[in-house]
Amino acid sequence: MFLEKILSQGKKEQSVIESINRHIRLLCTACETFSTALKNRDANLMRNIIELEREGDFVRRNIISDIYQGAFLPYLRPELCRFVEIVDRVFDLLEDTALQYLDTEIPEQVKDECARVSFLNVRICEMLLITFDAMVKGDDLREKTLAIRIYEKKIDDIKFDLIRDIRKLPITNFWEGKILADFVSGLTTISDIIEDASDHLQIINVSMRA
Amino acid sequence: MWKVLSGVFLGWSLGANDSANIFGTGVATGVVRYRTAIILTSVFLFIGAILEGPKCMKTVSEVSRLIPIEAFCCTLAAAITMTILTLIAVPASASQAIIGTVIGAGMLSGTADFSKLYKIISCWVFTPVSGIFFGYVLHRFSGYLLNKTVLNITHRNMLYFIGILVSGCYGAYSLGANNVANVTGVYVGSGILSAEAAALIGGLSIVSGVLTYSKKVMMTVGKGIVPLDPFSAFVVVLTGALTLHIFTQIGVPVSSSQAVVGAVVGVGIVGDLQTISPKMLMKIAGGWIMTPVSACIFTCLLVSVINF
Repeated sequence: MFLEKILSQGKKEQSVIESINRHIRLLCTACETFSTALKNRDANLMRNIIELEREGDFVRRNIISDIYQGAFLPYLRPELCRFVEIVDRVFDLLEDTALQYLDTEIPEQVKDECARVSFLNVRICEMLLITFDAMVKGDDLREKTLAIRIYEKKIDDIKFDLIRDIRKLPITNFWEGKILADFVSGLTTISDIIEDASDHLQIINVSMRA
Repeated sequence: MWKVLSGVFLGWSLGANDSANIFGTGVATGVVRYRTAIILTSVFLFIGAILEGPKCMKTVSEVSRLIPIEAFCCTLAAAITMTILTLIAVPASASQAIIGTVIGAGMLSGTADFSKLYKIISCWVFTPVSGIFFGYVLHRFSGYLLNKTVLNITHRNMLYFIGILVSGCYGAYSLGANNVANVTGVYVGSGILSAEAAALIGGLSIVSGVLTYSKKVMMTVGKGIVPLDPFSAFVVVLTGALTLHIFTQIGVPVSSSQAVVGAVVGVGIVGDLQTISPKMLMKIAGGWIMTPVSACIFTCLLVSVINF
């Protein structure tokens, strides 16, 4: 077993890294799809998010399976799995938010703000991918995690304005109001989870240093 | 030749207990499988015993001039003392036990040479001190080097894995080289065995302990040690191995457990951790006194009974 590990020269680990990279790229695609669908009011495009989430689940299962088949030291395995689970939470939230969009009509008064938040979600996802690549190379992550925190702060600022604006809207039906509130909550929470994911990358980076 | 059986028993218990200091953390944390660990430990421990084991035998045999039956009593008393002290959770070192027994037998026969004890006791004291020193220096130096050169996570992962394996093999080699004298050194002094034969029999007896009864202690010790990251675990095992190997060149068998304890403290100092506790120091110091004294008393009783 240990000879196999040495002779494989890190192929299993490389495969896991590539899979996690693919997982995050898929998330970026999902966020971009969401943003485009929201901007163009394209319900069919929004439905693609469900397929992307399913694909994300498939990739996640493969990653975890590969990790526990012997990739990386046992010390690192739970941390990598935790990171993948956090990214998966973003997928789930994005899917729920997409379904809520399909289930309700977004008022004109808040459409621009929602579009702005979804655009920033795309940027923050791309930053997470850059941070992950940097973590793999062993680079300093401080600037990248700072950038993610800046994006997250921007989204938080828009979130407060959004909440203030939707409170001014007349709601005729409890469930309409609830779905709209859940949609806004989901849209603005994506960045929080991505920030958690980037913090976790920093933990992995520090734990592997001598 | 039946008199070597007590030495074989001592070697078996040494192998069962001390092999945990080598791959204990690796096995408990899943880096190395238990089967791989015991095979590597056995092979390298035996090689160490054969190649450098005779170096420490002279020291053990010079403390007192023993006759064969006294050699038998010494190793039996050491084995029983270690067992009793382990049962009452006092850290017991085979090196300290065997010296205690040899002194005891020597006192009864009037052949004990107390002047040899200065060198031996100094080495006991310097074992954890060396562990602290080398642990700190190795962690600082190699950590600096690693952070400048190997940054990629997959490369570093592979390096840590190979490092833990290689340092474990070196640790096994050093354990065999240093501690085989505890097991069969007294037979060389009493003329039953040559140094080479003693190394062979001692090495095989320690290996038998590793192969048959090391799992429980390995898991207990491995999980009980302060949770170490892979790099620190590698440094601790390497430091323990280096310390043992240095004292092998000096010619004095020392405690592998205390070398590892020192290494953990040294590594902890790098991270500013409070790993030195007065309680731990008291335990080690207590072991220095209790182990040889108990072994000495027990040997005196055993030799007296046999002579009676």
